[in-house]
Amino acid sequence: MLKRAAAMASKDLKLSVSGGQGLVQAVLLGLLLIFLFSLSKPLGGAISAQAAGAIFWLASAFGLVLVFNDLFAIEEANGARMGILSSPAPVHAVWIGKGVAGLCLLLVSQLVFLPATVAFLDQTVHGPWWLMLVTLAGADIGLVVIGALLGALSQGQAARESLLSVIVFPLLLPVLLSGITLFSMCFSPGTSEGFDGWLGLIFAFDALFSGAGLFLFPFVYSGEE
Amino acid sequence: MAPAGGALLAVKRAAKFYGSKLVFKEVTCEVRPGEIVLVAGPNGAGKSTLMRIMAGLSRPSAGEVTLHVEPECTAYLGHSTFIYPGMTALANLGFWGTMYGLSPSREELTALLARVGLERAAEEKAGSFSRGMAQRLNLARIYLVNPRLIFLDEPGTGLDPRSLALLRREIVAFRDQGTSVVWISHHVREDAALADTVLALGGRRVEYFGPAAEYEVEVETC
Repeated sequence: MLKRAAAMASKDLKLSVSGGQGLVQAVLLGLLLIFLFSLSKPLGGAISAQAAGAIFWLASAFGLVLVFNDLFAIEEANGARMGILSSPAPVHAVWIGKGVAGLCLLLVSQLVFLPATVAFLDQTVHGPWWLMLVTLAGADIGLVVIGALLGALSQGQAARESLLSVIVFPLLLPVLLSGITLFSMCFSPGTSEGFDGWLGLIFAFDALFSGAGLFLFPFVYSGEE
Repeated sequence: MAPAGGALLAVKRAAKFYGSKLVFKEVTCEVRPGEIVLVAGPNGAGKSTLMRIMAGLSRPSAGEVTLHVEPECTAYLGHSTFIYPGMTALANLGFWGTMYGLSPSREELTALLARVGLERAAEEKAGSFSRGMAQRLNLARIYLVNPRLIFLDEPGTGLDPRSLALLRREIVAFRDQGTSVVWISHHVREDAALADTVLALGGRRVEYFGPAAEYEVEVETC
């Protein structure tokens, strides 16, 4: 199964990067959000670390929706979903493959968002880098687990695509809230006390929704029309 | 595995509803090794729905479908071409090979493309292909899998006469090498001559299931 998931991820990354749609749109939208929020900064004042963290993760969440809409649209252009479902490849290989491809694209987006947040929102990374990286990895896994599961719901139909963002955002609240709090600790010169509880919440979220995804994905990614 | 001479696929009293709308009911049929079963019927009779149920892509609302062949020995070819336009013909074929758990070499893939007349387009992006070329690439995918049971859902839609002739020739060749074919076609008069059995849907039920030669007689006497 892992070989098939790797083939799926590799194919999706090549097509997404060469097509220049989902990733470019996600980066541009995220940058636009960060820039627009930077305009709300009072003259001579600064945006709080908490707000900067919130803006970073909001940009990431919007990027996530665009990335997964694009990744699942790849199969819809010429009906390849039916080809995959009629092959002996386990349907979970699609979920894992799309998840890995989405994680890579999200990380690339965030490589742009992080310096943009520091530059436009006048932030400095004071906290430990390891905490920022672990938060990024843990929260991103949670985001893509949900994104890959609910992205399958979109399957090229406009009504379902709009449904994706409606469903995604409430579900993502725990992981977004943890990411915001931990990033605000990293942007603040103070201590990072209590980080372990928030990290625990992120990894519990990852474990819970990974299990849910394994169970639910075959139901949402099917040949039923 | 099917017993010797037994059916590869058996459908027993299958029914399908979309919400409260009945598509068909009481569909019973079987597909034996090395036969072509032509599925006929007017638009909306449920031919594609029945084929998706046979191929395991959709669940019947009632009844049962028994497949006596491993999933890796079946292949599905629809009017959609299943190609990725941003990838070359070789990359497309290589991807489908991996999905079927195969590891074909570049030489094997090139030979398959040559078999469908696409060897010179091997490194071209499939997005630049005509409908006929795309469907031939799809046919190469079927050769790669070397299936025992093939589902064809109107694969001739939009094909030029040359590609359509190639497709018909290959369908017969598959049957001659022992592969079973379930084939939905709108060219029933021409294609029934190539088939062994006809399954005709109409009025939300099976109108005819039997030898193709007799189906022709029935149509003419009606």
